[in-house]
Amino acid sequence: MFVYLWGYLYRHFFRFWVKWILRQLTGKCELQRIRDGSKEGSQRTLKIEYSLECSKRKVLRNAVHVGEAEVEKCVIGIMKEKKINIQKDISFKKSLQVCLLQISGYKKLYLEVENLRKVPYDSDNEEHEKQLIQLWNLLMPHENLKARITKQWCDIGFQGDDPKTDFRGMGMLGLVNLVYFSKYYTGEARQILSRSNHPKLGYSYAIVGINLTEMAYSLLKSGALKSHLYNLVPGLPQMEHFHQFYCYLVYEFDKFWFEEEPESIMHFNCYREKFHEKVKGLLLDYNLVLTLQSTTKKP
Amino acid sequence: QGLLSILRKLKSAPDQEVRILLLGLDNAGKTTLLKQLASEDISHITPTQGFNIKSVQSQGFKLNVWDIGGQRKIRPYWRNYFENTDVLIYVIDSADRKRFEETGQELAELLDEEKLSGVPVLIFANKQDLLTAAPASEIAEGLNLHTIRDRIWQIQSCSALTGEGVQDGMNWVCKNVTAKKK
Repeated sequence: MFVYLWGYLYRHFFRFWVKWILRQLTGKCELQRIRDGSKEGSQRTLKIEYSLECSKRKVLRNAVHVGEAEVEKCVIGIMKEKKINIQKDISFKKSLQVCLLQISGYKKLYLEVENLRKVPYDSDNEEHEKQLIQLWNLLMPHENLKARITKQWCDIGFQGDDPKTDFRGMGMLGLVNLVYFSKYYTGEARQILSRSNHPKLGYSYAIVGINLTEMAYSLLKSGALKSHLYNLVPGLPQMEHFHQFYCYLVYEFDKFWFEEEPESIMHFNCYREKFHEKVKGLLLDYNLVLTLQSTTKKP
Repeated sequence: QGLLSILRKLKSAPDQEVRILLLGLDNAGKTTLLKQLASEDISHITPTQGFNIKSVQSQGFKLNVWDIGGQRKIRPYWRNYFENTDVLIYVIDSADRKRFEETGQELAELLDEEKLSGVPVLIFANKQDLLTAAPASEIAEGLNLHTIRDRIWQIQSCSALTGEGVQDGMNWVCKNVTAKKK
């Protein structure tokens, strides 16, 4: 209760005066102070994002949603509003632009990922079928599929003889993730698939992959991926960056699973949660970038 | 008096716990049903590797619902969860006619299990929201449910997606668990 009250008072009353006093003392507005006081990447961008979202001015609040084409105009608008001399502080303009691209780019990336997730797998869609077959060929280069509907799908960790029902709530996002990992980290993918057939510690490769798509998706949705992406991409994050984070999860989960030596596959959800907490903990570190260090070809 | 009655309420016996086992083939809709029971979001469901468990309060009972993955590879593990089951809920994808035989076989095997003998069974004829879904009566006939004589049973058509029929099924569960627990 007290914490809540303090938070309310701070946001609506004290924050304004603290900012005013600091402005008089330093001769800089909050955005400038953040820029000068923090290093490039998630540390700076997260603070800028918070400052803009809390702002009483519409120009500043709207800036977190600005499209790529309007970023420059928007930054000039902010500088005018905050009476920052553009000629005097050219580097400020540049860094604020990068921050805005990162902030609005994250929101845009989430929408793109969400749209792909909402596309259900459709076996009448040639493009979908092509990707599914591609997944098989990437993972099992020495074995041909005998039919489209076959028990062989279980060999790469689908549940039954037709994978289409396994994508469920993750839709095409699940398949695109699986294909991406197999295509750009082929060696790792095949190695993990073969480890997943371990007689005692084995798990179902494809459906665990789909579960990890859900993990990557929910981390993106909750905003937990911000620190990672703001550190990784000094500009607009792309779909590819999401896929790469998924690859990191698959690779690390496999390692985690074999280190933990669970009693059986029935305990999957418990270890999944444990791994989820571990990743969330890592993402709290402002300086961290979570990438898979590949030994095979790079995307 | 008001305060006393509140205190008395707090002290009153906790809800009776009921162990419910949710089984069925993969893609039958068990996890969606579980989430629907717990009033959780059902749009991000993924295949169940292992099991999920949730506790739901209903009509003075604390229902501990165990949702076990239906993939063929993990069906041998089902038996690890039989002990102390109060009610078995068996979920069928009513639109997946190609697998009616397989689901019938699995159900028959469950009903033969010694550890589940006499346990009331509710069969959810799920996915009734799909146009191609078979009606509950047709499934009951195909699965020869009328030959079940060693326990009480019920078939309920439902859609875990829309929630239709789910509550009716759970009312049956709560009514029949009392009979057994006494």
